[in-house]
Amino acid sequence: MLKRKYFLWFIPALVLCLVLPFSASGQEKVIKIGGLYPMTGRAGLYGLDSVDAAEMAIEEINGKGGVNGYKLEFTNTDSKAKPDYSVMVAKRYVTQDKVHFLFGVVSSAVGLAVTEVSKQNKKIFIGTDHASTQLTTDKLQPYYFRVSNNTFQSMAAGALYLKELQKTKPWKTIAYIGPDYAYGHDQWDELKFNLTRFGVEFKAVGEYWPKLFAPDYTAFITSIINDKPDILVAGFWGGDTVAFIKQAQPYDLFKKILYFHPDAGGNYELMAAMGTDLPEGLVLSARHHNNWPETELNRDYVNKFFKRTGRYPTYAAEGAYAGIYAIAEAVNKVGNPDDTDALLKAFEGMKIKLPEDPDDFTSYIDPKSHQIVQVQAIGVTERNDKFPPAKLMLGQWKVYKAEDLLPPPDYIEQLKKK
Amino acid sequence: MKHRHRIKEVGFWALFFLVFGLIPVFAKSEYHLVLANHILIWGMFAMAFNMLFGVTGMLSFGQALYYGLGAYWVGLMVKTFGEAWFLPAIGFGVLSAVLLSMLIGLLVIRVSGVYFTVLTLAFGQLAWQITFKWYHFTGGDDGIQGIMAPGILGNHIVYYCFTLLLVAVSIWILRRLVNSPLGLTLRCIRQNPDRVRFLGRRVRRNQLRIYVISSSFAALAGGLMSGVNNSIHPDMFYWTTSGEVILMGVIGGIGQFFGPFIGAAVIIIIQDVVGARTEYWSLIIGLVMMTMVLLLPRGLVGEIQAFMARFKSGAGNRG
Repeated sequence: MLKRKYFLWFIPALVLCLVLPFSASGQEKVIKIGGLYPMTGRAGLYGLDSVDAAEMAIEEINGKGGVNGYKLEFTNTDSKAKPDYSVMVAKRYVTQDKVHFLFGVVSSAVGLAVTEVSKQNKKIFIGTDHASTQLTTDKLQPYYFRVSNNTFQSMAAGALYLKELQKTKPWKTIAYIGPDYAYGHDQWDELKFNLTRFGVEFKAVGEYWPKLFAPDYTAFITSIINDKPDILVAGFWGGDTVAFIKQAQPYDLFKKILYFHPDAGGNYELMAAMGTDLPEGLVLSARHHNNWPETELNRDYVNKFFKRTGRYPTYAAEGAYAGIYAIAEAVNKVGNPDDTDALLKAFEGMKIKLPEDPDDFTSYIDPKSHQIVQVQAIGVTERNDKFPPAKLMLGQWKVYKAEDLLPPPDYIEQLKKK
Repeated sequence: MKHRHRIKEVGFWALFFLVFGLIPVFAKSEYHLVLANHILIWGMFAMAFNMLFGVTGMLSFGQALYYGLGAYWVGLMVKTFGEAWFLPAIGFGVLSAVLLSMLIGLLVIRVSGVYFTVLTLAFGQLAWQITFKWYHFTGGDDGIQGIMAPGILGNHIVYYCFTLLLVAVSIWILRRLVNSPLGLTLRCIRQNPDRVRFLGRRVRRNQLRIYVISSSFAALAGGLMSGVNNSIHPDMFYWTTSGEVILMGVIGGIGQFFGPFIGAAVIIIIQDVVGARTEYWSLIIGLVMMTMVLLLPRGLVGEIQAFMARFKSGAGNRG
């Protein structure tokens, strides 16, 4: 009985110990940013990297005295990657915590749910990682801005790469494998649309739709080998890419077919997870690369992140880093974080130099779509052990002009009709 | 005895309306109304689930099917025909839950115990898969956004009062049901279905009745929730949603009528308070669950009642 009594006291004491250190202290002139990154589950690494990069950017800005006398203050609540919970958190941020900006989000489904809260409450939402094209086309609302590429931009770059490839290595047939949900389907639709738009002749010989987080791809791998496409386009993200490549290697799939993964395939997460097991010659891309462009800004960003966390960043981190700098830029222009209308104007058309910009280009936010416009580089896996634990990184870069990657008006109309 | 029971009943309703009725007056922000709405809706959902599990002894792991169904009726009708269809859609959701649960119920009540649980889980997951994959109709993984209640219901205080009224009526109906002859039969079914048969009552028919009733309230909860969050998602059909109501029941006390409601409030408040400060929210939930299962197996309400009973008997002995 005595033990039970002590145990009953032990639990609340432990709860208090866990909760109290996180109690925030107030500041007078602050720009409050409410983050909604997942910190647990399969998307947890993306959230962790994003939060680290956002905090790094804030320390840099606050270290230089803040913005117009304001200090940046960032709070993250684990969104669990669940839309209903994220809506609740977003409403808390807006109506109770009185944040100036909603921020983040890895999953597009969460992004779509949070953009609704942003619209209703007229609170600016800075999207940093989710890639669904809808958010900046048919589901665009005035208070949403995205500071990383969407799937349409990746697929447009991919189509241009394949067009060039046809000249040097004639290919005819193409197949697609991607997770069986909106993100996977959108990529395939957008790639086909862009191939047609750029006048590329192709024949689709197969579509394969494994479940998201599927543990076993064997049946799909044998089907792909039987269908013999010249190019296999993949639309996985995270651990699914690692699992597929590991399982396809014993079948020599990468010797028979060119593996092409232009949206999330070139994420550093893959290189770090596979080490020397990653095959050479895969054609991949992502929204940021640790070894491209070789500019001072990118090198500095990557090294600082490594120094701070002891690991190299995934592409998600750079989105968050860019988002914080975009907020600072807008507030700096307006003078305060409370004038929402003026802030909207400041974001529209904003030019901002980011780590993923080559020397001759500066990212800017398209005033019509509120989508950041950036170049996209596609590379090929090759030996490079400068970013351990990765043993291969991307190289042999092909870079595509930002303006060529935006969705044309007829495509946006098509989406709206859907 | 009857008099004391009546005082308890009146006391509950007075407390219920006092607490939830004063929230719009004292709420410092809209968020407090959102939180209270979540507690009301999840509380009703958990109490309806408990009619199956706590009262009748049928552990359904698929009540998310009806919760999602109610929500998707509202989402799809508002998206297709406009806000004016919000209220009719809640009714259609409940009606379709009645029809679907009658069909599914006829299959699932033929088995009992773990087989019943697994079969309900299978139907729930089937509904989730369909919603997830039927992208062009349901929006797939993206869900549906922009679900607004029409007219004056669009005001968050009015919508809260609307939810409060519907939840109060639902709890009152469920309470009447538990105290009715049907409720007595259901409790007997939980304890000894064979004896119920010997007494000439139909076990399966009564099980089907309560399965349909519980499912219709789950659909009502889903429909109401779509108006709170203004967006819906296939996760509403997912087994974890069914799991959450089970968790709420266990924490509050499955043997108590109001237990699941209290359990829902506890879980939502823990998620809110702890989730806002640390990502280790799941550790806290785990610790709470461990405490409940090991030390307070009757749930919060059950343990409080047991404590009160002990206190009274102690006082009686001294007197």
